Order: sequence, then C-alpha cells, then structure tokens
Amino acid sequence: MEKITKDRLDEVLKNPPPENGRYIRVGMSSCGVAAGAAEVFALLRSEVEKRKLAVPVVPCGCSGGCHSEPLVEVCVDGLPSVTYGKVNAEIAMRIIEEHVRDKRLVQDYIVDAPMKRAVAL
Amino acid sequence: MTTTVVLIRDTDSGGADRTRDVHDLFTQKVRDAGLQNEVQVVRAADLGIYNKGMVAKILPQGIVYAGIADADVDDIVTTTLAQKMPVSRLVYCGANEQVRIVMRNCGIVNPECIEDYIARKGYQGIKRALYDLTPEKAIEELKTSGLRGRGGAGYPTWLKWSLARNAFGDRKFVICNGDEGDPGAYMDRSVLEGDPHSVIEGMMIAAYCIGATKGFLYIRAEYPLAIKRVQKALDDAYGTGLLGKDILGTSFCLDLEVRLGAGAFVCGEETALIASVEGKRGTPRPRPPYPSDVGLFGKPTVINNVETFANVSYILLNGAKTFASIGTDKSKGTKVFALTGKIRNSGLVEIPMGTPLRVIIEDIGGGVASGKKILAVQTGGPSGGVIPEQHFDTPVSYEHLLELGSFMGSGGMIVMDEDDCLVDIAKFYLGFCVDESCGKCAPCRIGGFQMLKVLEKITDGKGMPEDLDTLKRIAQAMRKASLCALGQGAPNPIISTMKYFAEEYRQHIVDRKCRAGKCTRLMRFEILDTSCKRCKLCVVNCPVHCIAGDREKGYRIDQEKCIKCGRCFEVCKFEAVARS
Repeated sequence: MEKITKDRLDEVLKNPPPENGRYIRVGMSSCGVAAGAAEVFALLRSEVEKRKLAVPVVPCGCSGGCHSEPLVEVCVDGLPSVTYGKVNAEIAMRIIEEHVRDKRLVQDYIVDAPMKRAVAL
Repeated sequence: MTTTVVLIRDTDSGGADRTRDVHDLFTQKVRDAGLQNEVQVVRAADLGIYNKGMVAKILPQGIVYAGIADADVDDIVTTTLAQKMPVSRLVYCGANEQVRIVMRNCGIVNPECIEDYIARKGYQGIKRALYDLTPEKAIEELKTSGLRGRGGAGYPTWLKWSLARNAFGDRKFVICNGDEGDPGAYMDRSVLEGDPHSVIEGMMIAAYCIGATKGFLYIRAEYPLAIKRVQKALDDAYGTGLLGKDILGTSFCLDLEVRLGAGAFVCGEETALIASVEGKRGTPRPRPPYPSDVGLFGKPTVINNVETFANVSYILLNGAKTFASIGTDKSKGTKVFALTGKIRNSGLVEIPMGTPLRVIIEDIGGGVASGKKILAVQTGGPSGGVIPEQHFDTPVSYEHLLELGSFMGSGGMIVMDEDDCLVDIAKFYLGFCVDESCGKCAPCRIGGFQMLKVLEKITDGKGMPEDLDTLKRIAQAMRKASLCALGQGAPNPIISTMKYFAEEYRQHIVDRKCRAGKCTRLMRFEILDTSCKRCKLCVVNCPVHCIAGDREKGYRIDQEKCIKCGRCFEVCKFEAVARS
C-alpha cells in the first residue's frame, strides 16, 4: 500500500477531491444486510457489469434510516442524488433500467430526511 | 445540466393519501409550462416530515415546501421551477433537522476504503495535532469544545485526558469502549461499521495527548461485521503508515489492537472492561483510583466510548469553536440516539443537544407506528429511567435527563405506547440487570434479586401496598452501596416508573388488574355460556387440559389449573371466551 504522508494530507486540504459524480451506494451495515442489502448489492453490481454502465456500485455504512433499509443512493450525470428505501431485487432492476439507463427517477420509493452534514467539504 | 427534481409526499396520516393526485396535477402544470424536459416530478415514499400537509422537496436546491394547496402548485411551477426563485410563504423550516457530526461519514464513505475517509478530510485532525499543537494545546482545544463522554455519565473528556497525561507511568494506554450492551442501543455498532477510521483517528489523538503507545478497541463479539471492518481499517492504517512507528513523519508511535468482549454486560463498565482486556474475569473494582491513574496493567489509561472518539476527530479537524456552537450551555455538540420500540421510523438520529424529546419522537421518528397514544420513552438502558409523555418538551441534555430521573446513557431510546405495561417494563429491565450482575458486591447481587421477587409478586397479583416501600428501601441501598454503575443504576427504571406511573402500580396491587394485558397472571379467562357454540375447539387446544364439561352443560375453565396462556381466547371463533 502507498504510504500516506503529511504532504499527501496537505494536498487533500488544498485541493479537495471532487465529490464523486457517479455512484450507486448500498447501505451495507448490519441493519442493511439483515434487510437484504447483500442480494441487492450483488444484483446491482452484476447488472452494471453486464450492461457496461459507467457507474461504480459501492458499499457504505448505515445512514440512520434503518426502518427503510436496504437503502440505495443513486447519483448519475444530469440528476441530483436521491436515496431509495426498502429496495428489493425488483426495485433494483427498475433503478438500473429507469434511473440509470433512462434518466427517469423511479416513482414511490424515494426516501429523504431533513439533515445537515457537519463536515464542510 | 442537472434536471430539477420535485419530490412529492402527502404527510397527513389521517384521510386519503393525496400524493398521487397532486403528483398528476404537478406533472400537468410542468407540461403546461413547457418544462417537462428540465423537471421531473416524483412521488416519494417518505420525506422525513409528518403531519404538515402536502410537502414538496425541490432538488438539487433542497428547498422544502409544506402545506401545499392545489392552488399553490401554479406558483411553485412558475416561480421556483421556471424562475428559480423560492415561494417564501410556503417554505418549511421545521426544527426537526438532524445534524451529523459523529455520523458525518456514515452512509457516504465505503468503510473498507481508507482513501474514501481521507477524501472526506480524514486524518487531518491527527495531522493538525502532531504538527500544529502540543499535547497540552490539544487538550486545551477539547476543553474549549466542551465535549463530554458519550458513554452515558458525561464526564468531561479533556479532564480525563489531562489527568491521564499528568499521571506518572512508564507506559500509558488508550482504550475504546465498544462494548455496547444496552437493550435497543446500537449507535456504536453503526459508527464502527460505517466509519471505523474516525474512531481510530480519535484514539490516535487521545494517545498523542496522554503519551500512550498502545491502545485497544474493545468490541463485543456479537458484532462480527463491526469487528471485521475495524480490523480491515486497522490493517489499512498500518499499511499506509498511519499506525505503527514514526507516524506521518514524526516520532509519534502507536499500536492499536482489537479485543473481543465475550458477552457480559458488566464489561461495558470501565474497570470491568480493563480487567477483561487484561485477560481476567470481567468484574468491576472500587474507584478511586480511577483508570486515569491506575488503569490497564496498573498504568494510566484513557478509556472512552466509540462516539466520543468519533467526536474528537471532528473537533480537531474543525476546531473547538465550531463544535461548541452546537448544543446547550453545559452539553455541547450532538448526540446519536437509537430510536426503537413502537415508533414509525426506527433507526439512528443525531440531533444537537437541547433538542426536545418531542421533536425526536414525533417530528423525526414520525410518532407511534400503531397510531395509538404514546405513553413514555425509556432512555439510558437498564440504568436509565422512563420519561412520561407530559415531560416530552424537556430538552435532551445530561442535566435535564438527570432531573427527570433518567439519564443520557449510551443513547438507546425505546418508545412505548398504550399496549405496554410499565410494571412489566420495569420488571424486564431489572431482570436484565439481575442476569448481568457479576455477583461481586452484595447490594447488586442480593438487592436486585429481591427487588425482582417483589416485582414478580406484584405482577402475579399477590402484591401488597407495603411492597412499594420495600422496593424503595432496597433501591436506596443499591444506589448507595453498589460497586459500579450497573448496581447503582439498576433500580432506576423501577423508581422512575413508580414516580410517574404510580396509578399502574396501584391497579396491579389493589385492583389486581393490568391495563395493558401484559401481566398474564392478572388476567382471567372465562367461557360465556350464551355465546358458546360447544365446538370444543378450546378444550382441544388447552395445553393444560383445564377446560372441562360436555355439550349439554357447556364448558368451564378451571381457574386453579389455568396458566393464562390465552390459547382458548385466540382459537375461539365465536368470541365466547372473555378476557379480563
């Protein structure tokens, strides 16, 4: 692994890396996994690979909305990032086909909450 | 160009859901205005806002409108969507906004990727401490921040560190307490699983401040995923040179290691935890001396909760003043609560200190799932207390919760509605403490057991009015004489329920009734001869064969033999079994 030096950390402060423009994040903490996030994650990954979509599917921790797990946050070009709740295999497919491919948000599954992230980026 | 998205949700719980109608109306108006290529109108499942009428959230701007009437849709389309100007009369500014400090990266970073954390300004706090601050200055910074321990007791973190720094010892240690055992609490697990590096960074800062070279993360073995992710985070930190020798090109050295807790609740108590890390049996010892003087292997030790460490890395990164600007006079920053029980949105909420309980439960949690009347909320785990609905306007802080006879605890918050029996709840928590008592000191070992006996007597319908005095007397003794917080806190749920729900105790003792129907021994089942169709279903299903009779005379329940399991009540198709 590459060593992380003081210069490297200084560099991050000076030129913050751009917020990742494209991603599909799946909440993969215990609460998410218990609700079926592992299957959703595997499905999204295989679909993205199969269709050669330029969107990385990445795991993340629990954002607090355990009641709506599995949570999937989608950010693709041209659309603001939104989070889908209670995602199952069927909705995951719709996310790929409607949201990622057709750039049309999926109705009825988006969840949101008033929140302020404290870190200034 | 980014498409504008309008999320629509009818947030009124009563009446028909009008989300679909307004969505159609909105879509039509957008099309009329010729904006259909730039705007998408979407029905949302939940916007985190409740009982505020029709709500629309406009992304990416993040504007929220509430209480939208059909007539307002035009205005929103022409003003906000076409001209990008807000419609000020509709703007929603509720007090239910969460502030994420501890969970700043949870749900964003990949917990198994150190690069993600660094991209979110990770390890800047320790860099700042190492290069720009002396240990004294860093402790001073914490003092300014006003951070207090998030494990429950609220001891000022800077003071703990300062004592450990000034204590004499050839070696010093830092320990992260991840032995989260309160029923219904899982904030620490979430932070360890979602953002392990923030905790590791907090521990590095602590080690630098007190002069420790070795640290342990004590995580309970029931959290396999958290352990796996923390171990991965530690391996990555070693691999990139952030742990080990000469960290970030300075002379600072630190080794961190995971230790597994083997499932004893008492090991969350700091002296018992230290004994457990040493490989001894996990039992507490009297304090003083405090671990900051005589801790792990007899050396000065700082032991803090997961959440505290996650706060530390934030404070060193963003400065004490930023942190101290949030919260109340004496309780700074935010607190993460695990909201569970009869609540619509169970999950984790992080709110600034001083937020009223009602906001947490009703505005963020969305109220009771069943639509029944909310009765109380339990905070602080088995050592905490029950707060009744009339005190829900109390702001959440260490002091205010103590005043109410509860305490902050690690952050479990269990909501109870009318279906819960408070005597039964008190019995549950006490039973938990009795099971988990290590047995070392008599007040906890014997006192807890005796209190449980008295409570069982009451819920069995054999209680006497003087039993309440006995409970109070034993509680007093346990509070005064127990060795650690487990025994001292064990009577709290009983005392607080006796204080706020005296009527329930009276009903159990005098009327021999349980309002919620939870205390089965106080219930009575009877077959109503007039409704009984003699189908014998109850007779067949009774596990103890206490229903006798025949088709001519009808059937009767032998009350002596009945175990009140309620099976007859459930199986009867003619509602001929009465429960009282």
